Formats: sequence, C-alpha cells, structure tokens
Amino acid sequence: GTMGPAPAGKQPSGAAREPEVIEPALEDSGKEKKKVSLKKRARAESPAESLLQPVKLSREELYKEPTNEELNRLRETEILFHSSLLRLQVEELLKEVRLSEKKKDRIDTFLREVNQRIKRVPPTPETVLTDQSWLPAGVQVPLHQVPYTVKGSFRFLPPSQVTIIGSYLLGTCIRPDINVDVALTMPREIFQDKDGLNQRYFRKRALYLAHLAHFLAKDPLFGSVRFSYTNGCHLKPLLLLRPCGKDEHLVTVRLHPCPPLDYFRPCRLLPTKNNVRSAWYRGQSLPEGEPPTPHYNTWLLQDSALESHVQMLSTGLGSAQGLKDGVALLKVWLRQRELDKGLGGFNGFLISMLVTFLVSTRKIHTTMSGYQVLRSVLQFLGEAARLGKVSLNSDWLLCTPQPALADFHQVFPVVFLDSSGLLNLCADVTASTYHQVQHEAQLSMALLDSKADDAFQLLLMTPKPMIRAFDHVVHLHPLSRLQAACHRLKLWAELQDSGGDYVSAALGPLTTLLEQGLRSRLHLLAHSRPPVPEWDINQDPPKHKDSGTLTLGLLLRPEGLTSVLELGPEADQPEAADFRQFWGSRSELRRFQDGAIREAVVWEAASMSQKRLIPHQVVTHLLALHADIPESCVHYVGGFLGALIQSPKETSSTGEEALAKAVHCYDDLSRLLWRLEGLPLTVSAVQGTHPVLRYTEVFPPVPVRPAYSFYSHLQERASLLPRPDKPCPAYVEPITMVCHLEGSGQWPQDAEAVRRVRAAFQLRLAEVLAQQHKLQCRATATHTDVLKDGFVFRVRVAYQKEPQILREVRSPEGMISLRDTPASLHLERDTKLLPLLTSALHGLQQQHPAFSGVARLAKRWVRAQLLGEGFTDESLDLVSAALFLHPEPFTPPSSPQVGFLRFLSLVSTFDWKNNPLIVNLNGELTAEEQVEIRSGFLAARTRLPVMVILTPQDRKSSVWTQDGPSAQILQQLVILAAEALPILEKQLMDPRGPGDIRTVFRPPLDMYDVLIRLTPRHIPRHRQAVDPPAASFCRGLLSEPGPSSLMPVVGYDPPQLYLAQLREAFGDLALFFYDQYGGDVIGVLWKPTSFQPQPFKASCTKGHMVVSQGGELVMVPNVEAILEDFAVLGEGLVQAVEARSEKWTV
Amino acid sequence: MVARRRRRAARDGEDAVPSPPGYSALPVKFSEQQRASHYLYLRQHRVREGAQSTWPQKRTLFVLNVPPYCTEECLMRLLSPCGTIRSVELQRKPELAENRKENKSKYFHPKPVPGFQVAYVVFQKPGGVAAALTLKGPLLISTESHPVKSGIHKWISDYADSVPDPEALRVEVDTFMEAYDQKIAEEENRAKEEEGVPDEEGWVKVTRRGRRPVLPRTEAASLRVMEKEKRKRARKELLNFYAWQHRETKMEHLAQLRKKFEEDKQRIELMRAQRKFRPY
Repeated sequence: GTMGPAPAGKQPSGAAREPEVIEPALEDSGKEKKKVSLKKRARAESPAESLLQPVKLSREELYKEPTNEELNRLRETEILFHSSLLRLQVEELLKEVRLSEKKKDRIDTFLREVNQRIKRVPPTPETVLTDQSWLPAGVQVPLHQVPYTVKGSFRFLPPSQVTIIGSYLLGTCIRPDINVDVALTMPREIFQDKDGLNQRYFRKRALYLAHLAHFLAKDPLFGSVRFSYTNGCHLKPLLLLRPCGKDEHLVTVRLHPCPPLDYFRPCRLLPTKNNVRSAWYRGQSLPEGEPPTPHYNTWLLQDSALESHVQMLSTGLGSAQGLKDGVALLKVWLRQRELDKGLGGFNGFLISMLVTFLVSTRKIHTTMSGYQVLRSVLQFLGEAARLGKVSLNSDWLLCTPQPALADFHQVFPVVFLDSSGLLNLCADVTASTYHQVQHEAQLSMALLDSKADDAFQLLLMTPKPMIRAFDHVVHLHPLSRLQAACHRLKLWAELQDSGGDYVSAALGPLTTLLEQGLRSRLHLLAHSRPPVPEWDINQDPPKHKDSGTLTLGLLLRPEGLTSVLELGPEADQPEAADFRQFWGSRSELRRFQDGAIREAVVWEAASMSQKRLIPHQVVTHLLALHADIPESCVHYVGGFLGALIQSPKETSSTGEEALAKAVHCYDDLSRLLWRLEGLPLTVSAVQGTHPVLRYTEVFPPVPVRPAYSFYSHLQERASLLPRPDKPCPAYVEPITMVCHLEGSGQWPQDAEAVRRVRAAFQLRLAEVLAQQHKLQCRATATHTDVLKDGFVFRVRVAYQKEPQILREVRSPEGMISLRDTPASLHLERDTKLLPLLTSALHGLQQQHPAFSGVARLAKRWVRAQLLGEGFTDESLDLVSAALFLHPEPFTPPSSPQVGFLRFLSLVSTFDWKNNPLIVNLNGELTAEEQVEIRSGFLAARTRLPVMVILTPQDRKSSVWTQDGPSAQILQQLVILAAEALPILEKQLMDPRGPGDIRTVFRPPLDMYDVLIRLTPRHIPRHRQAVDPPAASFCRGLLSEPGPSSLMPVVGYDPPQLYLAQLREAFGDLALFFYDQYGGDVIGVLWKPTSFQPQPFKASCTKGHMVVSQGGELVMVPNVEAILEDFAVLGEGLVQAVEARSEKWTV
Repeated sequence: MVARRRRRAARDGEDAVPSPPGYSALPVKFSEQQRASHYLYLRQHRVREGAQSTWPQKRTLFVLNVPPYCTEECLMRLLSPCGTIRSVELQRKPELAENRKENKSKYFHPKPVPGFQVAYVVFQKPGGVAAALTLKGPLLISTESHPVKSGIHKWISDYADSVPDPEALRVEVDTFMEAYDQKIAEEENRAKEEEGVPDEEGWVKVTRRGRRPVLPRTEAASLRVMEKEKRKRARKELLNFYAWQHRETKMEHLAQLRKKFEEDKQRIELMRAQRKFRPY
C-alpha cells in the first residue's frame, strides 16, 4: 500500500518501534561498536595503514566455487552500477547522509511533543487585520506589511489538522540539516471571502505564526523558536522549532500554516489572473487593466496543494528504496553545486517531483538502483537542453479543464506543471538557474560516460562553490541599487506580483540583459540566490536590501574572447536602431574592409589579459545604461591576480604577448638552423625545451640591451662580465633548445668520443651561425649560446642514439644488453622527453589560452612560498595542465583566476599517496590504459617518488618528480594550499573588494630556524618580488636598442650561486628555502636528525666538531662556525644572518 | 643558558680541544673577523694491512673537515711551515687511490661546487707530518697578504673563468679524437687480421663485418626472436574450444571480478578512514 500523509499525532506507527525497554542493551552494543570503529580509524590513519597495498588473494580464494549469493551480487553490480567500486561508494555515501533509526526515534518523540503543544495554543478574539494591538510585546509580525491597510479580520484558532509533510515522511531527508516540515491547517473560521486578494491570506498567515511563536517561545521544550521564509519567498514566513539542550542540532521543525482544503477556487489562481489590485498596491488603478500576478497566485496554490503533493510523492516514490536513494543522491548532487537553496532553487521537493514525474512517464522504473535513478534524471535534464526546450513536461495532466500551456510559458521562463495542471512547480526558477542545472547535468553525464575511476568523488563529493566554478564573478553591492534598477527597467508589475521583492523581480531581466550583451563571449551566466534568512521572533523581518549580495558567475567562451568588436547590423537595416538602443553611446558607425557600413562597438583592449576582461566593460556599461546601476556598485572579480604575473613596470599585460614574442624569435632561429649550410651532418629536428617555449615561464624574458659602461669586457671572447663595484646586472636566462643531428655511420660508438664529437659540432655551429647570419655566438663543450634580437638561446646538439650508447652493458658472454643508468636517463629526459612535453604543452596553450596564466600563477605561488626548489618546472606545469585536461567536475578554466583556485584545491585535496596524477596529454591514453597504469602504480608504489605524475610518454617512472619533492616538502605545500584557498576565496567573494590580493603569496617565515637576509643590490630579479620594491638598482640596461655585438652576462644570479654552495656544504645539516623571483630572504631549517650526537666517523665529519659529552667523545654540528660560514660564503650578498631558534642547541 | 654553556666549552677548547682518538684537532677560521672556528682533524695517513694506497704512507697527512672556502693552494700555504710539501689533493670523500686529476678535462668534467672535503697532503719528508700534528692554530685562510675570494668576488671570477676559449676547446677535442681514431683503426686492423683465422682450438670468430654478417648479439635482438616464436605458437592454439577451456575462462573472469572487488573494498575502507564520505 502507499503511505498517505499521516497526522502527526498518530505518526510513529507503534509497531515499528519497540518501547524504551530494550534501549539500554542497544545503547551498550552501540557503544562497543563505536569503540571498535574508533580503534579501526586510529589504525587506518597511521601512515603505514593509509597506504593502499596491492591485493593478495590466495589461489583457493580466487578460484573457489562461487555461491549463488555471490553470483547474484556480482551480476547485480554489473547491471545496476558501473562497477563494484561505484556501488560500494554509493552505499557508503547513503549510509553517511541517511538518518539513523535511533535519531528518528528521538525526532518522533519531539514531534509528538510539538503536536501537543501546538494544539494547546489558546485562541484569540476576532479583530480587524489592521488592528494588531492584541499581539503581545516581544513578537513581531514576520512580514513586511506594505501597504499596511487591508480589509478583513483575524482571530487565532488552533489548527484543525497538523500533518507531517515533505522529505522526513518520505524517508528522503539527508543529513546534516534534518528538517521536518509540518503543515498546520488553519481552521475555516479564520477566513472570509476573497482572502486570496491583496495579500490578505498572507497577512493572516503571518499573524497566525506570530501568535503561535509567542506561545511556543515560552515553552522550555524548545531551544530556539525563530522565523524564516519558505524557500526564500518573502510573503511566506515559517516558524522554526529546535529542541533544547544537546538535541539542538538534531532537527529543525518547520511550521507551514496552510488554508483549509478547497478554500481557494483554482480558476481564480490561473497565471493570467490578477489577485493584487493596483489600486490597493500602488494607490492608483491602471487604465490599461490589471497586470496578471502569476507568482503571487502560485504561492497561494502551493499552500493549498501541500497535502496533495505529499500524497503524490508517497504514491510515486512508494516503498521503492532505489527511488528514495536516488532522490537522496540527487539532493547531495544539487547541494554540492549550490543549486538547492533560496528562492527559485532546485530544492529537494522539486527533484522528488521530477523523479515522480519520470516514474509516471516510465523513464524511471521502481526497481532501479539509486545510482540508476541519478543517472536517468541527469540524462533527462541534460537532454531537455539539447532539444532547446525550457519546459519540463507535460503529459501527466489528468484533470480538465486545463489552462493553455502557452499561458504558463508566457509568464514563466521554466514550466513544470504538477498533476493538477494548475501549479507551475518551477514558477520561481529563473531561466539562468535552469540553464545552470542543465549544464551541470550534461557535465555529469559526460563524466559518468567517461567511466572515470573517480567519477563518484567528482560527481557527489566535490563542492563547486561559485568562485571556483566560474571564470569571473560579479558582485552587485549594495543591493538597494536594484530598487532603482526595477524602476529603470519598468518592472512595476513584477514588483506588484512579488510583493515588493525587488531583488527577485530584477533578477530575470538583469540576467537576460547581460546574456544578450555578452553573447559570443559567454558560455553560461549564473546568479547566486539570496540566502534564506532566519531571525528572532522579537525582530522585524530582514529587509530585501539586507539579503547580502547578488553574485553573478560568468563561464566564458575562450574563442569569443579574442575579439574587441561587437558587429552590429548594416546602418540602413531596421535592426540598427535596436542595436543603437541596446549599446547606447558605445555604438558607432564604422566602415569595414568589405565596404559595408555597420553599427559596431569596439572595446579598448590591447593585450590578451585586457581582452579577457572585456566582459567587465560590457557588464558595467550595460548595467549603468539600462539598469541605472553605477560602476561603484558593480564589483567585477576577474583580473586581480594578474598583478602577480605582470612583469615589473608592465601594467597592461600579463605577459602573454612577451612570451609570444620570444617564441616567435625562437621560430626564426629554428628556421635558420634548419637551413644551415656547412655543417658536416644535417639538422634533423629543432625542439624547444625551455618553459618560455611552452608559455609557462612566470616572468617572460625581455630583449636585453646592455649598457657597456656598466660591465667589464672580455674583448677577445666578445663577452661582458659583471663588475664587483656595480650592482648585479640584469638576469638573462638562456632559452634552452635541442638541435638533433641526423644519424650517420660517422658517429663513434663510444660515449666519451660522442661527447667530443658533439663539442666539435657546438663549435662548428657557433662558427657557421656567426659567419652566415652575423649572430653573436659562444660555444662550450655542451651547448652554444646564440644572441638573437636580444634573446639568448642555448642550443644543445643531440645525437639520437647517445642514450642507447650510455645504456649498453656488455655481459661476460659478449651479449650486449641495455640497462638504464643515471646518465642515460638524464640525457633521455633532457633531449627526448622534455622536447615532447614542451611541444605538447605548447599545443595545450593554443587550445586553452588561459593555460599560460594558470601555470604561471601556480608556479609563482609555489615559489613565493619558498618551496620552488622541491618542485621542477615541469612537474608544476603538468599539474596545471591536468586542470585543463581533466577539469571534471568543472569545465576547463578560461581565466587564470579560476584556474589558480582549482590548482590550490587540487594540490590540497589530491591523495598523492594512493594515486598517480595521470595527465593525458593529447588524449593519447585510453581508459583501459589508464586502469593499467593505476594498477602498475599500486604494485610499484614503494619504489616511486612521493608525488607521481604520469603522462602518455612516461607511464611508469614519473621522471619530473624523481628528484623531489620530499614527503615533508609536499606535505608543507598541501598544508599551505589548504590554508591559502579559503583565504583567497573569501577575499574574492567579498563584495567590497578583495583587499590585499598578495596576502596568500607571502610566505610564513616563523617556521625557520635561521633567516639569511640578502642585500637587494646583488639580487638581479629584485623587482619581481611579491611585494615589488618602490625603487631598485640600475641593472645596466638601455631603454633604447644599442649595439649588440657583445654577449651579455648570461645566467648570472648570485642568490642561486650562493644557494648551490650552501646546499653542497650544509645539505646534510639543513634545508634552504628561497623564492627565486626576487626573494630577499633565505629560510634555513635544521634537520633534527643530524643534530643527534653521533660517534666519530671519518666519513661524516662535514662541519661537525668533537665534544665530550658525559665522558664520551661525540660529534655535533659546529653551529656557531656554520652560522659564520653563511656570512663568509655569501660575502657581499648577505646582509644579516638571524638565528631565530635555540632548536640547534644540543 | 645553553649559549653560555657553549661559550664555556669553546673557552675550555683553548686549553685542550677534544679530538677523536688518533687525530689531532686544529682550529681553522676564514679570517680574523670570525669568532668561532671549525676544526680540522689531522692524522698520519695509514691503511690497513693488505689494502693498496697510492699515497706514500709515512709522508702523507690526512686531513678531515676542510671547509668549503679552503682551496688546495690555501692548505699548501698554511701547512708549508711544517716542511716542504709535494702535493695537496682535496676530495669529497676519503679514498685510497689517488685521483688522476691531470686527465680530467676542464671542459668535459667541470669542477663541482665545493663542500666540506678531505685532504691528502704529501710532504717531502716524514717530519712534515709530525710537525703538522703539533700545530696549534687557529689557522687563518684569508689574510691581508693572501686574501681568498668569497661571495660576490668569487662568483664574478668564476663567471669569467667559465667563459670558454673556443680555440683551446677545439685543440682538446682534436687531440682526443685523433687518439680515439687511432685506437679504433688499430682494433679494426686486428679484427681484420683475425677474420677467418681459427684460434688454437680451431674456432673461427664470426663478426658483423664479415662476408656473411650475423644477427648482432644484443638482448633486444634475442627478445625479438623470442617474441616472434611466441606469436607463432599463439596463432596455432584454439580458444574456448574444449569445455574445460570454456570453464576455465569463466573461472578466470570470476577471479578477476573477485580480485577487483577486494581491491575496491580496500579502497573504500581507506576512504572511510579518511572521512571521504562526508559530502560537506
């Protein structure tokens, strides 16, 4: 049988729950269980246990005869779920969110009490509605009574019926906030004729609650009695009751007063009807007739349909556990996407109705599992979008006469009628919200279809806060400006309909306006829903302007961001007038190359970063023009982080252009190399290896024009040298590249000889380039530096077979086998894998223009935290690339800001211990190959580095993280990222502006034992510091192009040279931390293990001294001398050495 | 308080610096300005019975804990009052054999950044070693008459040294390659002479260069051959032909599922421990 709505008094069906007698026994076993699980948890959290081990099953276990039960379960898993893992995960999640039986019992007890209390509230004598003097002090009417005068009279009578409705009854409510909705049917005697008119019903409803609140608040049973709004609707307050004492967070009972059955005549509440008279609301009647009040009507209908809806849901979901599980999963899904709260949100009720609807149309079957229900609903939501429809139904209309569906479509952007055919369940849902739901559904379906290993995690466990989901966000603040906007947009009818809620009245028109203006640049526009407030009963209800901030989220379309032009119609077309009206003064007549004269808007943007921010200009312009919202109220958050990757003295660009220039110069040089004549062997390939050539160098190189007087000269070798009496010259980083020479029988087969031949080629290359192209070159044994257009390229000649030669090992039997050696791996990495990676990421940049910004911000941040040494350039670039190649559950970032936030989130939440980060460059890996890689990873886990990043070219060894980070450094990064993310997100979500955007980039210094302060005079990149200095030293550069016949000082960076010395001399005793981008402090952390006194050993005396301790001779680090060594080794560079802790004392 | 204890220890050190058995401790500082000093630990170079060492036993002084700014020239200067010094060799680790530095090319084996090192100082006479062991110190590495570069000055001069001289590099490469070519030519000549000539037991060596070349003897080649054989065999075999084969395939599938299930359960257990199922 189906469960009907049960009156609360009878609710807990006695048979199901036994009396308290067995409680103690239960309690005991429960406690024991808890202990066990605690122990288990403690054990599991110890580091050894939290590591996944490869499963070892004995042969017998694997090949024993299966039982029927086992076969059934396996078959079920295959049919109902994707995989056994998913099934287990879903079961675990449901266990976590479902209400336990024990709590249910306690809630039921509380509900019985509530029921009795409500029935005991005394009646009041009848008064006119405008006379509210009978209300006792200490309670305020939870409604804005504007205009105050209204006809009718009110008296309080205890409810004729108290019914539990909603998810609690259906068994679909989920933790952590358990709400029990209770409908209070107000007796018929309270109402007069036509109470549906002019908010009379809502006034009575509010007074009813106020009186109830006053009496219940006195009752010690309740910990708190407060008002709130039903789904954020300002005409429909409700009363929140919470138990007192330790049960306060157990449950919230929400009281919804509702009219008696059949009190309202449905025909009067059709979407075309008016029930708020202009004469009453605006004080004047309109000559053109009364506007319809569709939302107002819907709110009335909702109240009268409370019970029938519950009935429908109980019938629909019935006793099918799969459907209930499905609803619970969908609720989690919506909540993670912040879609369920507020007016017009996709709440649990709506989703339950949708499931019921899909059951009735046989798209969902009652035997389906929760996972299948989730899938079917997502599929349905996603596909509805593909058909371009915004209507959800509807062929379950049963009763007649039905109003025309067209009437609904005219007034509501989203239509989903209930079975009566009169009530639009999605009346408050805006088109934007629905588009967002569809977008999310499509993303989720794609994710599920991809059969990704971590689909569950991404789908249901990953929160998608607005700031992390959208490329840019816009805060409108203060909200009171929207009142003016409503007038400017002529939304009086809407205000009349919504009872003066100007925020929701303006929402629809504003989003439509912006969507139209952003067209080609926009993928999706979403808006936040004002949070549902809660307030004490002795307070006035909060005003509309107090409902926080309206935040818009923009998902950008990268291909639309490159244009600075809005192309309008030709001047003589009739649409031209509309275009001019829409864009106002920004619209201009322009003649185009094809001769056409058109209306057009041109935005000012020179660089890529400015083009990315054109939506900012569009939004501010349109809001000011059409909605009277001044620029000061529009807080556009999209480009703040750009300041961190801007070159010193640069303000308009975030470096993409400078990188492109360097890449262009590289292309020219590689063409020259290709066509070079006079080399004994021809060039077979030229490949870039430097981060510049994959657009991920934090500070792109600028062409150097040295001022010769600043340097000393080494004339015979045409080189400049730094001078000790001048500040350190500008840092010039050589851009590395590899030049492969063709194979030939002429190459020797001996490793040492190959090196000599390569050196000969380096020399020859320098000669030929100098002769044929007049380029300044300098050859060494391993590379040739080439000065071209102010950039210094470091060309490295490579012979393809050299790694193989290095690998050859001859066994005693004369068999030649190949074994990896450090030298061969190193060479292969530098000349084979690095060029491949560089070209793959170069390609990624062409697909995703935001990649450069994200990767550079990420690297900047890691290095600003002084952790740069632990992480190679390549490993960080790959983590950034993963954000684009595996964006789930998001879409690939289109702005550096959102990409950086997701970088922090990925770094802080990824389980590096148990998972490899697979970066599927160019999509080369199939799903099966990825599974294979994962199992290979598990088997080899102990031999792999702590951070494992695998690519199609590197499926096993994680080359870029081989030499670090260490477990401690990675842990430190994870902690810092987890701290930085909420701080930064809070800053960016602050409608008054982010404040100091560099906050999260400043490193904590209090953890270091010693700080070595450096003098800025010898820090060549001093101006790149996170907090750029107001002034720094002259670095010997000309602003005008000068003669370029001498090789500038290349790769000379005193802090790096100093660090290399420190690490070599004291690497066993301490760790050194430094920000290579202009940092002026080196953090030193002593290694605790090396401070244990050791017995004397000739092989490890480095920096130690022998002391006698307790009559024994032991070795301890000679800290005082070492501290002085810090200053000696860095003479001229070191300003001060501050020992900050006594930790080193033995 | 701890610092005070330290200072006292340092003062006591002036009377008798503790040194490990068999060694004598010799304080060393960079210059006058430094307050604390490092300690060199000196000993006469000895090796265990039977071990070979190229250092002359009686005349060699073994020095531990040489600070990074102390060069070979420095050490030579500081120890020369004890007697005429033949050679000073700095190494990263104690090693018995003399490192033939002469053949290491400056271009192909650049000097590593120095850390703390050990030194072998060879005196002309055994008396030098004995004199060195009685030195009191503290030695000063950089003095007014013999300043030692460090910091900025050192890096600038290192940079200047690193600017290569292409002519010298070319000469070095040419010399090396000439010697190498000569060696290869000799080997080839020898191989040619041996070609087809049976050795004393009558075996003839067959090489890749001969008239009838054979497969190269590499691991890759033998793997390739084995792979080919395997494929040939697999092609001939029938799949799921007999009932038992069919049964076995099914069982194999079941076992795979079981294994996967176990793995998944382990994963879940771990996630539960990490509270991975709390959605928010």
